[in-house]
Amino acid sequence: MKKYEKPTINRVDFTMASKYGSPLKTQKIRNSIDGVDVHKLTENYGSPLFVFSQKAIEEKYKKLYEAFSSRYPNVKFGWSYKTNYLNAICKIFHNLGSIAEVVSEFEYQKARALGVEGKDIIFNGPYKPKEHLKTAVKEKAKIHIDHLFEINDLEEIADELDIKIPVAIRVNMDTGIYPQWSRFGFNFENGEAYEAVKRIHKEGKLVLTGLHTHIGTFMLDANAYREATLKLMDLKNQIEEDFGYEIEYIDLGGGFASKNRLKGIYQPPEVIVPTADDYANAITNAIYEKNKSDKLPLLYLETGRHLIDEAGYLLTTVVGYKRFPDGRKGYILDAGVNLLYTSTWYNFNIELDKHYEGLNEPSMLNGPLCMNIDVIEENIMLPSLERGSVLTISPVGAYNYTQAMQFIRYKPAAVLIDKNSNVHIIKEEDDLQTVNFKERMPKEL
Amino acid sequence: MQELLKLVIDENDIAFHPSTGNSYQLNDIAKEIINFLKEGKDKDTIIEEIAREYGKDRKEVYIDVSDFLNKLKIYGLI
Repeated sequence: MKKYEKPTINRVDFTMASKYGSPLKTQKIRNSIDGVDVHKLTENYGSPLFVFSQKAIEEKYKKLYEAFSSRYPNVKFGWSYKTNYLNAICKIFHNLGSIAEVVSEFEYQKARALGVEGKDIIFNGPYKPKEHLKTAVKEKAKIHIDHLFEINDLEEIADELDIKIPVAIRVNMDTGIYPQWSRFGFNFENGEAYEAVKRIHKEGKLVLTGLHTHIGTFMLDANAYREATLKLMDLKNQIEEDFGYEIEYIDLGGGFASKNRLKGIYQPPEVIVPTADDYANAITNAIYEKNKSDKLPLLYLETGRHLIDEAGYLLTTVVGYKRFPDGRKGYILDAGVNLLYTSTWYNFNIELDKHYEGLNEPSMLNGPLCMNIDVIEENIMLPSLERGSVLTISPVGAYNYTQAMQFIRYKPAAVLIDKNSNVHIIKEEDDLQTVNFKERMPKEL
Repeated sequence: MQELLKLVIDENDIAFHPSTGNSYQLNDIAKEIINFLKEGKDKDTIIEEIAREYGKDRKEVYIDVSDFLNKLKIYGLI
């Protein structure tokens, strides 16, 4: 019997050839993750499926931590819960030595439920309801003040509890990047941050012990962190001199980039993303340059994306295909933008489960939602895939699970592959009970 | 169909359409289907023959051949 191959015809477009080879033949293949077959994973745990690699998390963490700790004696990481707050993922970071960085009472409660002590929680975010702020104060969390109303709230809490509350303020600044993040905290350049400290000092109910900044996300210029650190250290020196506070720590927030491929940027991430050493050099050198105190401040980092993005994969299965009137082949996948929030910004790495015979042709990847916007990849050269082909989409470890929507389809399961290639289910697939949980029906209906 | 008849296919599986100057890259089954079409065979017959020849499920072949014919239409060849 002759070997079957799906019939393919492609108009030859000479503009598609380049020194990187023919896009008509290149295939990116991944048949396993950390030694576990992708088909076995979808057969055992369903498709689509989020897969996280403990090995990749730990390797990335150690690399970044070593980059900093080899240059600076006093550094601590705070795991950014919003980046990925699956309990097992948070636990891995806590086991590695991270404290927790949260931006809501819900994340705060999650950290506490995981056994993280209040003193090991950094409480950021522009909205901290007063009752929850009070709990965090009682539990000695590190409160990072975002605006003047929070100063008022905290002073009331200080009165209610009859204590002085140690706090930090969030500072935004121009570090030479565009767009400048100015939404969080108090501005450095126009003196707002200094005024906030003056305001805190005047009442004497709060004690400033830290300074925080978060300059942006997916920062492709390590030098921006140098600028941020210099400014934060200048502020520290001035505050210590003018108000007598001892600033115990500075917190440079997050924003280190992962090896993802930003839309509109044509160089590969290997070329444009700074290394862990680049970021570490930029920050630690600036502290050494500016430090006037006999003690170096504790350095906190709230790195999320850089540490988890490449450890996360989404497996998805081809459920069908069709031919669009413009000639592209349209594949229908069982995972869509409901699970891939970051598809708005990134061109993911899309890998096939095996080598497919035949030529690549212009294709489009669509999800299962009955929505025209459900496009994972608008233009991709793919060979003729089959119903049941499993694609691996990566890196999706950051933000995609936490921002995945329960919309039209149930939210899928998530598994963790440990360092011995054992697979652990860390979140089961949703079902009708999960979706209907806490809904109520009025008697009249 | 007129346009398809003009296609010249060489030994490297490249088809050339002289009046538009377009070239196309094909695989073996695509070539076979084009030859069937040139012989005047209809869609159902082509599906039957391909399914028999390759031992494939007729319903699966139906999807692939329909897709291929759609693409020939988009290219203005049939």
